[in-house]
Amino acid sequence: MSRRLSALAIMLAATGVASADEPATPPTDATPTPTPAPDTTPPVTAPTPTTPPAAATTTTTETTSASPEVHSTVAPPDMSDQGMGASVGIVTGGRDTPGGLKIAGHYLYQLSDQDWFDGVAAFTFGGGDAACFRDRMDNFLCDHGLADGNAVEVAANVRRFLGGKGDFWPFLRAGVGLAIVRFGDDDVTGLAIPLHLGGGIRVSVAPAVAVTAHVDLEVGLARFNHTLGLEPQLGASIAAGAEFKL
Amino acid sequence: MRIAILALALMAGGQSLVACQSSDVSRELGARCDLNSECDERCLTPSTDWPGGFCTITCDSDADCPSDAACINEETSAVCAYTCFTDPGCQFLGAGYKCSERDHHGATAGKVFVCRGG
Repeated sequence: MSRRLSALAIMLAATGVASADEPATPPTDATPTPTPAPDTTPPVTAPTPTTPPAAATTTTTETTSASPEVHSTVAPPDMSDQGMGASVGIVTGGRDTPGGLKIAGHYLYQLSDQDWFDGVAAFTFGGGDAACFRDRMDNFLCDHGLADGNAVEVAANVRRFLGGKGDFWPFLRAGVGLAIVRFGDDDVTGLAIPLHLGGGIRVSVAPAVAVTAHVDLEVGLARFNHTLGLEPQLGASIAAGAEFKL
Repeated sequence: MRIAILALALMAGGQSLVACQSSDVSRELGARCDLNSECDERCLTPSTDWPGGFCTITCDSDADCPSDAACINEETSAVCAYTCFTDPGCQFLGAGYKCSERDHHGATAGKVFVCRGG
């Protein structure tokens, strides 16, 4: 959406300059609002015959010829429309949330000037022994450790860059996932819908390569087998990765 | 950086909230059971002595048991059981449990009060 707006802005700037150079151009309602009639436009251009139009023309040609530079104020200039990446990190679980080593693949797709879709396929590898039992009220409970269980997840996130300096670009990320959660020693399996909220930083290290570091808070619900039923999911992750232009 | 700190703080708060829902008993000691596989080590199967079944661990002395349990003689072996002073102290284990005196295994005192059926 804002991409279209920037393109429109560039077009308007171009037409504005064109109208300054050529007062007879049709879109007089766009920029020269103070000019009441076409006859008054020559006097407007007359007082600034040489210097202002020349400067305007050069700036316009700079912006039009280097349109990706418009993005550089809100997103890393080396971010392309599409990218791929991988990350590795740790995720803390506990109780009914799996935790352990998390390996993820990312697919990035540009949505707007500062937003990218971040599709994730992730695997969590934890350990741990059986930790589920029946309490005295005969409720089935699990009390897994921070790094127990396994999970496979696909998630759709949006990454928004916050503006950066040089090669360093912080971002926020939010999204929703769908995961299969498994605690093998307890024969407990569930389907989880975690919400992700976090942030990180992207650092360009080569023309087509960047490294990232990010933290995420994961909150959601999961439906488990046995009589465990619906259980909350709560975890946090920290990860580092690399991404490449496509 | 602030976001990371906030996330970790929220995480800690959330975990403690979830932890409040945890049970007094565990797979190690006190959970209901029918089979050994439901416990960390051993299930005292449902009976009048152990209504609903009782997960426990074998022991040689109190040092092998959780802090709120003692090592008692139980048939052919010694197991951990929750200590108590009065019957209401055993209500958390459900109907059928009361505070009764048993032989204290590996201790000079000789007797100890624990939660047990029968």
